[in-house]
Amino acid sequence: MAYFLDSPISFLHDPLSLFFLAVIAVVALPAFVYSIGYLERYPRSKRIEGHILFAAFVLSMAAVVTLDHAFAFLVAWEIMSLTSYFLVLFERENELSIQAATIYVIMTHAGTAFLIAAFLMFYRFAGSFDFQAIKIACQTMPAQTKNIIFIFLLIGFGTKAGIVPLHIWLPYAHPQAPSHISSLMSGVMIKTAVYGILRFIITILGADTTWWGILIMILAAISCLVGIIYALMENNIKKLLAYSSIENMGIILFGVGACMFFLSKGWTMLAVLSLIAGLYHLINHAIFKGLLFLGSGSIYHATGTLNIEKQGGLIHRMPYTAGTFLVGSVAIAGLPPLNGFLSEWLTFQTFFLGATQGNGGIKVLFGLCAAILALTSGLAAACFVKAFGITFLGLPRSKHSQDAKKSPAAMKLGMLFLSILIFVFSFGACFIIRKLTSICGHITGINTDAMNFTVNNLTVTPWASKGIYLSTPAIAAVLSTIMLVAGSAIYFILCRRKNIIYNTWDCGYYKLGARNEYTATAYSKPFRILFSFFLLPHRRTKKIWESFYHVKSFSYETGTTSIFKKYAYKPFLNAIFGSAELIKRMQAGSIHIYIGYIFITIILLLIFKDRF
Amino acid sequence: MQFSILFAILASTYMMAIAKRLPTLIQSFRYQSFFLSLATFLAARHENSVELLCVSILLFLLKVIAIPHLLLRIVRRIKANENIGLFINTQLSLVCALVFTYVSWAFSRQTLPAAGETQSFMFTVALSVILTGGFLMIFRMKALTQIIGLLVMENGAFLLAALVSGGMPFFVEISIFFDVLISMIILGIFVYKINKLFTHIDVHKLTELKG
Repeated sequence: MAYFLDSPISFLHDPLSLFFLAVIAVVALPAFVYSIGYLERYPRSKRIEGHILFAAFVLSMAAVVTLDHAFAFLVAWEIMSLTSYFLVLFERENELSIQAATIYVIMTHAGTAFLIAAFLMFYRFAGSFDFQAIKIACQTMPAQTKNIIFIFLLIGFGTKAGIVPLHIWLPYAHPQAPSHISSLMSGVMIKTAVYGILRFIITILGADTTWWGILIMILAAISCLVGIIYALMENNIKKLLAYSSIENMGIILFGVGACMFFLSKGWTMLAVLSLIAGLYHLINHAIFKGLLFLGSGSIYHATGTLNIEKQGGLIHRMPYTAGTFLVGSVAIAGLPPLNGFLSEWLTFQTFFLGATQGNGGIKVLFGLCAAILALTSGLAAACFVKAFGITFLGLPRSKHSQDAKKSPAAMKLGMLFLSILIFVFSFGACFIIRKLTSICGHITGINTDAMNFTVNNLTVTPWASKGIYLSTPAIAAVLSTIMLVAGSAIYFILCRRKNIIYNTWDCGYYKLGARNEYTATAYSKPFRILFSFFLLPHRRTKKIWESFYHVKSFSYETGTTSIFKKYAYKPFLNAIFGSAELIKRMQAGSIHIYIGYIFITIILLLIFKDRF
Repeated sequence: MQFSILFAILASTYMMAIAKRLPTLIQSFRYQSFFLSLATFLAARHENSVELLCVSILLFLLKVIAIPHLLLRIVRRIKANENIGLFINTQLSLVCALVFTYVSWAFSRQTLPAAGETQSFMFTVALSVILTGGFLMIFRMKALTQIIGLLVMENGAFLLAALVSGGMPFFVEISIFFDVLISMIILGIFVYKINKLFTHIDVHKLTELKG
């Protein structure tokens, strides 16, 4: 140990670390308040366990983003992974929790293995685990080694970030953890991977290779599309949110990747701007995804199920959760004037500006990225229409949602705090962007004194000379005026008529029940058909015949296939288990044979001792 | 004198290889340990070393008196079948032991080509004792033979250490003795428990825990 801890461990308090500490605090605080209400239904010992693990989890994340020593970083990283593993296992009576936690811990450790390899390579060159020493050593490192380290770091952090195809643990682990933990895991923990990329790739390794940024942007594009398409198919609200996290990590990585690309090209202004877009989306996503996971926890608390096909009409029973969930949905779908729109708009602007600055292939790349981001935002809007509409609107689809109970005050308070923050981050955009400018300047090592991305306190402008402006308060004012006018017009024209006329022959449409409602599966059907080449949907129908003429019952089952599981993970796991099966033959179970193995080994060593 | 003692050690090793019953095996082990302690005692006399004397006395007390006594008591108490259960019959076992001796000799010529006759003989004996100990552990069924095999290997290692480095440091030697004693006691308890649980101590039947 002393060998590794050659230098005293100190804590960083540079803008990058402080930014991430702020993100942690912003989500951890409401999550803690929420957990007081959420954990009420558990026995006392379980509650205490939950709070202790929560505290350890938050502290380990804080340590990850502040430690100034690569080895200590790894230790904190591992503590973070393990505490979150135990939190995923919180309901360990549940078979699914165990499965989810196992997948999670395997994936996260595979990622950590790559990180350890990368850090040991750093150590080989720097002779120290101190960040400063590593940074100095990186300046003289051969390009080949840098590339290998970059790939290792990308795999290691990408596993935590949930980059496709390393994402498979997210939709398992997030739904199984208690909701306030899901909000922390999705809102903050996966962002520590972005911290790792910023800290180790941009500030320490130095992003001076062009293809690094391009690779990250391509992965981000894939993550965006895959994440949102899967989210659209999902009927479990927390799984839906988990897939949406993959999508949003893609958007964040768009900003980070573009920043690395611009840095390698030396386009400082764009580099800062794209990193601002990425970090802005990072904190936005932390807020609204935190809020949405807390909301899903309230739904679970109220109805005891996460399946949105069984929900419906919850807006009447839990208006408070519905309101906050709506705010979160609007924000995450990137609808103006809320913060999600703002950061996605900034990302778009970096793409457009990058396309105008660059030429040839770069134009095509940024054009494609913008197109993919546009498609993603559209699908995200559809996805959250589904999530909100099916869950909260219409009639209750089951007994569960009919008997929904109200959430405790502590849970409401947590959600309220985050939804207020959404508005703060929407309308205070200029102040935040000014702060982010200096943070991004520090990360990229660019002097940002001359850069100004805001006009007054109300308008954001990524590139003033090109006449690009955006003002969320103005949009909000216009939108609310339009809504007010339109709403009152509708009210005055349509709703003042009191007598409602029914038709005599209306084909039985006058008595509609919950069974006639649009379902979540039906809602996502057009997308299932559109993306069938990727989702590989399958359906199974089964008829049970009573007699030759009469079908007694008919069952219909539909689902999609995960191509990553089927074509990447399954064959890989089969290979591992197959080879394990082969090795198992050695394990005859007889002690004599085991001693014999040792004996043979010793004899072989004696015979071949000169070879070693 | 030295040669005859080494021969005696080798002879007792062969006796172990052809032993069919537990008491015989333990007795042979006792002879081997006795000759080993005698050799150490003579070396102590020769070098006028108090430490070696202590080692030889400890060797005598532990391996000639205490451990064989303990083992014999276990054999009596668990009332096990006294056959040690051979996977390879006695004739073939003897052939194996002889092959081990030959291999050890060849190996000693190869490793220490410059060594004198005494040294290479000592090396051969030490190595063949170790190999025969391993052989006993592998090709005998009863759990007690595994313990004895281990002790035999330990004897061989003692001899080898004495040859290579003129004996280990005194404290290391002492701690090894204690290790052997403790492991002996633990293994003895295990054998006792195994017998109580399964009513036999045939190791080759204990294959339930395989993965």
